[in-house]
Amino acid sequence: MKTDKKIVHALLVICLLFSMLIVYLTYFELFVKDKIISNSYNQRLNADNSSVLRGSILDRNGEVLAKSQFKGETQERVYPYGSLYSHIIGYNSRVYGKSLLEANYNDYLSNRYDAHTLMDILAKLEGFDPAGANLTLTLDHNLQAQAEKLMRNLKGAVVVMNPRTGEILAMVSKPDFDPTGSKLEASWRTLVESPDSPFLSRATQGLYAPGSTFKVVVSASALDHGLADKVYKDTGITTIDGKEFRNAGGKAYGEINLSQALSVSSNTYFARLGTDLGASALKKAAEAFGLEKDVPFELPFNKSRFPYKEMSQTDLASVGIGQGKILVTPLHMAMIASSIANDGVMMQPWLVKDIKTVNDITLQEGKPRVLAQPISAQTAQALKEMMVDVVKSGTGKKAAIKGITVAGKTGTAQNETTGGKKEQEHAWFIGFAPADDPTVAVAVIAEYSGSSGGDLCAPIAGKLMAAWLNGK
Amino acid sequence: MFEIVSSIFKYAFTLIIYIFIYNIIRLILMDIRSMSDKGRSGDMPRYVLKLSGVKGIADFVIEPVYDLNKVTTIGRAVENTITIEDDFLSATHARIIRKRKNYYLQDDNSTNGTFLNGKRLGKRRVRLKDGDQIHLGRCEFLFVMEKGQVSHESI
Amino acid sequence: MKAFKTLTKPLNPLYMLVLFDILAFFLLYIRKTPFDTQALIVGGALLAGTLLIYILTGIFQLGDRYMLLITAMLISIGELILYRLDSSLGLKQAIWLGVSFLVYFLCYGLFGLITFWKRIIWVFPLLSVLLFLLTMVFGTTVNGSKNWIFIKGMSIQTSEIIKLLFVFFLACYYSQRERLMDKYPRIWVTLIFMMLSYTMMGLMILQREWGTPMLLFLVFTLMLYIFEKDLRLFLLNGIAAAAASAVGLLFVHHIRVRVEALVNPWKDIAGKGYQITQSLFAIGSGDFFGRGIGLGRPDFIPDVKTDFIFSAICEEMGMFGGAAVILLFLLLAYRGFKIALECSDTFYKALALGITLIFAFQAFIIIAGVIKLFLLTGITLPFISYGGSSMVVNFAAMGILQRIAALRETEGGC
Repeated sequence: MKTDKKIVHALLVICLLFSMLIVYLTYFELFVKDKIISNSYNQRLNADNSSVLRGSILDRNGEVLAKSQFKGETQERVYPYGSLYSHIIGYNSRVYGKSLLEANYNDYLSNRYDAHTLMDILAKLEGFDPAGANLTLTLDHNLQAQAEKLMRNLKGAVVVMNPRTGEILAMVSKPDFDPTGSKLEASWRTLVESPDSPFLSRATQGLYAPGSTFKVVVSASALDHGLADKVYKDTGITTIDGKEFRNAGGKAYGEINLSQALSVSSNTYFARLGTDLGASALKKAAEAFGLEKDVPFELPFNKSRFPYKEMSQTDLASVGIGQGKILVTPLHMAMIASSIANDGVMMQPWLVKDIKTVNDITLQEGKPRVLAQPISAQTAQALKEMMVDVVKSGTGKKAAIKGITVAGKTGTAQNETTGGKKEQEHAWFIGFAPADDPTVAVAVIAEYSGSSGGDLCAPIAGKLMAAWLNGK
Repeated sequence: MFEIVSSIFKYAFTLIIYIFIYNIIRLILMDIRSMSDKGRSGDMPRYVLKLSGVKGIADFVIEPVYDLNKVTTIGRAVENTITIEDDFLSATHARIIRKRKNYYLQDDNSTNGTFLNGKRLGKRRVRLKDGDQIHLGRCEFLFVMEKGQVSHESI
Repeated sequence: MKAFKTLTKPLNPLYMLVLFDILAFFLLYIRKTPFDTQALIVGGALLAGTLLIYILTGIFQLGDRYMLLITAMLISIGELILYRLDSSLGLKQAIWLGVSFLVYFLCYGLFGLITFWKRIIWVFPLLSVLLFLLTMVFGTTVNGSKNWIFIKGMSIQTSEIIKLLFVFFLACYYSQRERLMDKYPRIWVTLIFMMLSYTMMGLMILQREWGTPMLLFLVFTLMLYIFEKDLRLFLLNGIAAAAASAVGLLFVHHIRVRVEALVNPWKDIAGKGYQITQSLFAIGSGDFFGRGIGLGRPDFIPDVKTDFIFSAICEEMGMFGGAAVILLFLLLAYRGFKIALECSDTFYKALALGITLIFAFQAFIIIAGVIKLFLLTGITLPFISYGGSSMVVNFAAMGILQRIAALRETEGGC
């Protein structure tokens, strides 16, 4: 009897061991696989490369941004515009693997997508081709090229998008790098070790203090809380809880209301407005505009930060002028501008217009998707009018376009390195045009430039919006 | 062409193997159940009451071996599982209950009492061990494991 | 009548097996251009053989039919993958399967006829040593282990045979222990038993083979736990194992390399970690449903036809396919345990248990090895991997196990 009992123990041991196998196998497929599968020693990646011609990547008008061609037995990836799309398309290297769109859409580009649905099987039935599918992006090549030209000697990012649909029209991060295989492999070590971090896609992953551009969010909250007509006496300087808040250049504007304060970007006004609004109102506004929220996007996209649990009076004042601990990505600022342009509706940003096989069968199609509605249409309208004033008569005059009403907001943000020094501040501009029926929204940042947003970034934004509006 | 067939077949294979496994498990379970229904003698030790002696003259009918059910009542009354018309027994004298693998002896408020290995039982039931001596009325039984060929007729 | 009833149920596992084979070999048939008729012949033969054994077992009550069905499913999966890897390999394996079927019946018959097993306990260690000496003299080294003998172009892996001798030895010992201990001093009996067991395992280590000794050691440990009344022996064995692994880890280069490959294969991916990482790539690229038969690249996996066949299954049939194989082995082990539990004779009980544990642990060790859960050692996956000696010995063991099951059924407690 005792032996039989022990035999049952042995059976339990075997059961345990075998369930361990299944559990580990499941764990492996769920959590480990994705990390190792793109290792360059996985010969499957190269094997696919050599037999299937990798698909191309095109802009919205069919301009080829990346393509593959056979070179003897092997393929090489060609990027006709070099570094221009390095922070969107990424690289496809035999040695260093793949990044960004090249990695994210690898299965489509290399025709490895699994026949998951009946549609896929039908697509395969209709025309199986030894070439990968092509990606068409929402980007406009001319606009992208111009954005890159305007940013050439700066470090920072530009995002141009359609506020109505969320399509990304141009997105430039500087500095960038040449993703062409041989060049990348030659300069890999330098790029990795460079203090300028050329591999950092600033537009989507750079986190910056928003500075005065954040005042539009604070203004929205003020409008919603009936503080639109609030008048403060601006003496150029105000002290809150022992901390001084000064206007840029120490100017005093006298008795001003919200609209005038936004127009001249009065720090004393917004610092006091921040304390009057209070923590819960500011936090609610920030979260409504998507801070601390993950936004789905085709590229790695950092979420913007609003890391306060408790807020002191100085914290409230700092957030009121877009300083303190809040951090945003340039793409997110473009989304905030877009939501004001789009009657308070924030659209989800997207990059891939469609994926088609060589035989023109559509495998996937991008669609405009509503992400959230941070503010009401009325609030958006009021904000819009205030932002028009910024460009008409305030700090954003250099973004003006002849014959078109432009709305915008400038910003000059102190950051961790400035320590009060002007030459390290970030310059910002967000805006959209035409104000009455916006079709384009922009966010521009020049990091550690030391210039003001109105001087450095507003003209860039203006030129890009003009280029898009005139080009259409 | 082959690729399409193979991509479809991979689901078919998975499905077939799992139906196969499911049915094997189902059949095994059915097997186990039917076996345990057939008689618990297979997995469980089966106990009986064996007559070891009668004091005085047996003026009543008594069998050499009694099988034990889930609940076996003993007494003079006809409703009992084991009816023994011994005058020293109460109408419902005692019962033996099986719970899982164990058997318990319980006295049903009998007049003359139930004795286990010479000791009179109180109100509480007592677990039986192999070889226990049970004494009720004029009858003496042994509680033993069933061995070899014993009639399986239930009473 | 009852058998007829179960046969008419539409989801009878036998039908699933037949359907699986038909689909599998149809797929292999259309894989090549022009169509591969050899695949149909191999498939047809396999199906006919399986059905024949199943029907014979059913009519004459030759053992446990669940175990038979499970084994048949395993060999079907194995044959499908092997044929897909290399059709000539698949053909060879099919021929070996034919031989194995014959050996199965031979062992089934012989095992029942011979009744003096228990009295020849000394034969098994002796045969093992003899086989060892034979390989030392005539042996050939394959994959670093010298455990193959070539006879007229046929290669035999001797460790496969020693495996079976070992469980016979254990079963004999435990059925004879009381008798021996009455005759001789207890301590000497135990001591000699332990020494002989360790010798049988140790001989293989001398041939630089690690998988089979580890397998036998695990079987031995569990057998000690089950059959020794005194658990001190079991604990002693555990301590000895811990000491041996510590020594091995410190001083044996071969073992150190494998441990390094287990802990961090990515460090030396081109060298020590190459095999295991290639296996992981295959399993990973299979995902849950697999890439489909013929659509993956298992040819990148080293030793795919023997040790790493599980990775190929995971690549082309997915993690679900792999988990199914694991479940099938678990069910097989369960049936084996049940047979052992229902035996009252210690010899049959121990033998059934030993054979079952061999199947179960062998499957566990190699699967855990290729998914990087445990040390990787070169042993085959029973009933699936390519290999004549392994297949024949496994079927011989299966024949014996089935005979024990049949004895239990017909004679009422063997």
